Amino acid sequence: MSDNNEFEPKIIAYVCNWCTYLGADLAGTNRLEYPTNVRIIRLPCTGRIDFNLIVKAFEMGADTVLVSGCHPGDCHYTSGNYHARRRWMLFRGLLDTMGIDMERIHFTWISAAEGAKFQKVITEITEKTKQLGPYEAYRKVCKVS
Amino acid sequence: MLNQLHETCRKLLEDGTVQVVIGYGQSSPDTPAYPIFVTRPEDVQQLVWNNQCFGNLTTYLTRKEVRAMGKPAIVVKGCDEKTLVVLEKESQIDRSQIVVIGMACSAVGNPPLAKCQACEVHMPRFADATIGQVENPASETDGRYADLEAFLQKTPADRMAYWMNELDRCVKCYACRQVCPLCYCETCIVDKNRPQRIDTSPTLKGNYAWHITRAFHLAARCVGCDECTRACPAGIDLRLLNLSVAKAAETDFGFRAGMDPEVEPVVGSYSEQDKEGFIR
Amino acid sequence: MSEVISQQTLSQLVDQWISQGKRVAGPTRVKPDVLLYEFLTAADQLLLNGFIRPANTIKELIFPRTEKLYGYRLEGKQIELYDVEPPATEQIVVGARPCDAAAFPTLDYVFNWDYKDPFYRRLRDLTTIVTLACRDHDEHCFCTSVKLAPDDEGGSDAMLFDLGDGNYEVRCLTDKGKALFAGATQSSDKVGKAGPGPEPSIDLDKVKQFLDTNFESPQWQSLSLRCVGCGACAYTCPTCHCFDIVDEGNAAGGARVRNWDACQFSMFTMHASGHNPRSDKSQRQRQRIMHKFQIYPDKFGEILCTGCGNCTRNCPVSLGVKPVLEAIQEIATTETIETK
Repeated sequence: MSDNNEFEPKIIAYVCNWCTYLGADLAGTNRLEYPTNVRIIRLPCTGRIDFNLIVKAFEMGADTVLVSGCHPGDCHYTSGNYHARRRWMLFRGLLDTMGIDMERIHFTWISAAEGAKFQKVITEITEKTKQLGPYEAYRKVCKVS
Repeated sequence: MLNQLHETCRKLLEDGTVQVVIGYGQSSPDTPAYPIFVTRPEDVQQLVWNNQCFGNLTTYLTRKEVRAMGKPAIVVKGCDEKTLVVLEKESQIDRSQIVVIGMACSAVGNPPLAKCQACEVHMPRFADATIGQVENPASETDGRYADLEAFLQKTPADRMAYWMNELDRCVKCYACRQVCPLCYCETCIVDKNRPQRIDTSPTLKGNYAWHITRAFHLAARCVGCDECTRACPAGIDLRLLNLSVAKAAETDFGFRAGMDPEVEPVVGSYSEQDKEGFIR
Repeated sequence: MSEVISQQTLSQLVDQWISQGKRVAGPTRVKPDVLLYEFLTAADQLLLNGFIRPANTIKELIFPRTEKLYGYRLEGKQIELYDVEPPATEQIVVGARPCDAAAFPTLDYVFNWDYKDPFYRRLRDLTTIVTLACRDHDEHCFCTSVKLAPDDEGGSDAMLFDLGDGNYEVRCLTDKGKALFAGATQSSDKVGKAGPGPEPSIDLDKVKQFLDTNFESPQWQSLSLRCVGCGACAYTCPTCHCFDIVDEGNAAGGARVRNWDACQFSMFTMHASGHNPRSDKSQRQRQRIMHKFQIYPDKFGEILCTGCGNCTRNCPVSLGVKPVLEAIQEIATTETIETK
């Protein structure tokens, strides 16, 4: 919650159920504080993450998107994160060509044991986004006339 | 070359090897050629071959009305032929059930289209019958991504401004999708409404979502025939979007869609050794 | 005696209208090889020579490609329903072609038929159309075959004739047109003349006869075979007016929106039950031709086509209406199939 009129970023985190979500849970049970700006969206696996979800997050007013899952080799479904990684490698170039701010899209591998990493990543991303400011550019695109 | 094309097609139809020849026709010289479907040997005279033969005819190979006509022979340029490689890899065509007539092509359009300036497939490579000769089968290849690289010189903010301007003109006619041989989904994602994942409205929001989606769905599949760019009635430079993903596929995986029939497609497979530098 | 305006005065007028907050549209070169009707921000963007016609139409101004009808907003537990504010900004088109303007008297019938469409009406009333008579035509033009002409006055509030010397003759045809050019023209004895237009090449009676008696004809298959099923023809046609109504939005708010639709899309006639009465491409192409040249004329006495040729120019496979009509004409004349 903000006291002044300080900008509070809206961060959407698409996380996989088996690693990053549990990692976030661990951060919670360990009472590791992290900014409340993040809205966590749980998916079975990063392999399920459609790039469309990233676009939709920006459409709905997100200032930053985080995508996070199991480390390579640790995917609960064996290979979901490998497919996801390959997809992300192909798609980043397109988003860059469109002029979408690549500093507002983050990818991480955070395991169920890495509560501290989750705390660190969210804190860093929130700070970064505060510096970048609200993502006005995409909101301009989505303003339906 | 034209006589050879006519003769080849006439024979194919006469001895019943094929029931239809999908080729180019033209109403008058120096006007864009268009697809024709010749079923009678005596009609092969309608087939033309010249630098007005735009059009990637392979798009008809996945259409039910054309499939219903029987075994086809298809006239392809080198660029169109690349599509056949991808279509076969995706199990959409049975190559043995198509007679491919490859035409040697130095360029289409006057002035030549952008894609022709960096073309490496002036000579078809996998045709059943190849007609014509081109002196240099491959042009200067370094220029493949030149237009994209020039575009990327702009700042991200300028790029966003450019696309806001370009995509503002999109009316969602889907000419890009309909001419594309690799957009063969029976129900396109934009036509699904439970839920509506992509707005159908031709607002900036809906247009962005559509074009990003289409470029993604063609990732490492698009062969760069540029038909989408030619078909767009609003003159939107869709090439740049497809080039972005093609460049990533080549840079990161050494993959170029439609070039080598032996190589496994990049999307749908993975390697534990995939290397990236942006995931922490 | 005629009224004449110089290129310079016309430009000044356009700049004046723009500075008055009016929405002014006209042909403009968006890219070196892309000429479209667009809203202008300055008179120097307006192009009035060196082309046959823009690749799009002016129906956009009166029948927008996307139009909000009404919407809702949610705040906490409060729901607010709102009607979209009626448009109030005057619109002026400068340099429309007669084949664009002539579409509106034709469209007026269907938009004022069993339902008097207020969205259409309001924008129609707010728009003044200044046409530019044609001196040239290309192989796709066929206005003269559908009872129009390069200087047809249908739908025009004023018509400009390029006199070739930096001046235009202005013929004000309605009160709106007169109001627009009041005091800006000078008397002259020069009279503008349009080009001869294309040779009429379509016998509409023959076509109508074929359409009246050949609904089940297998010819429709070959006539439509190369169509790829996009909406480029419908969306660049001055008279096509089909639309789709969709609901868009999310938990915060949304709207019911009217968007352009095209009868060539495979899902155009898809029913909620899953049945699609026009599941074949040939059925859809047949419908397009019949709507324009049989159904609309039978119902309203007007052909739903102005012969502008945009459909063929914009079609990725050079189909459109004229090649189909020519093929039908040939069939009707010779009773043989031509695989065009």
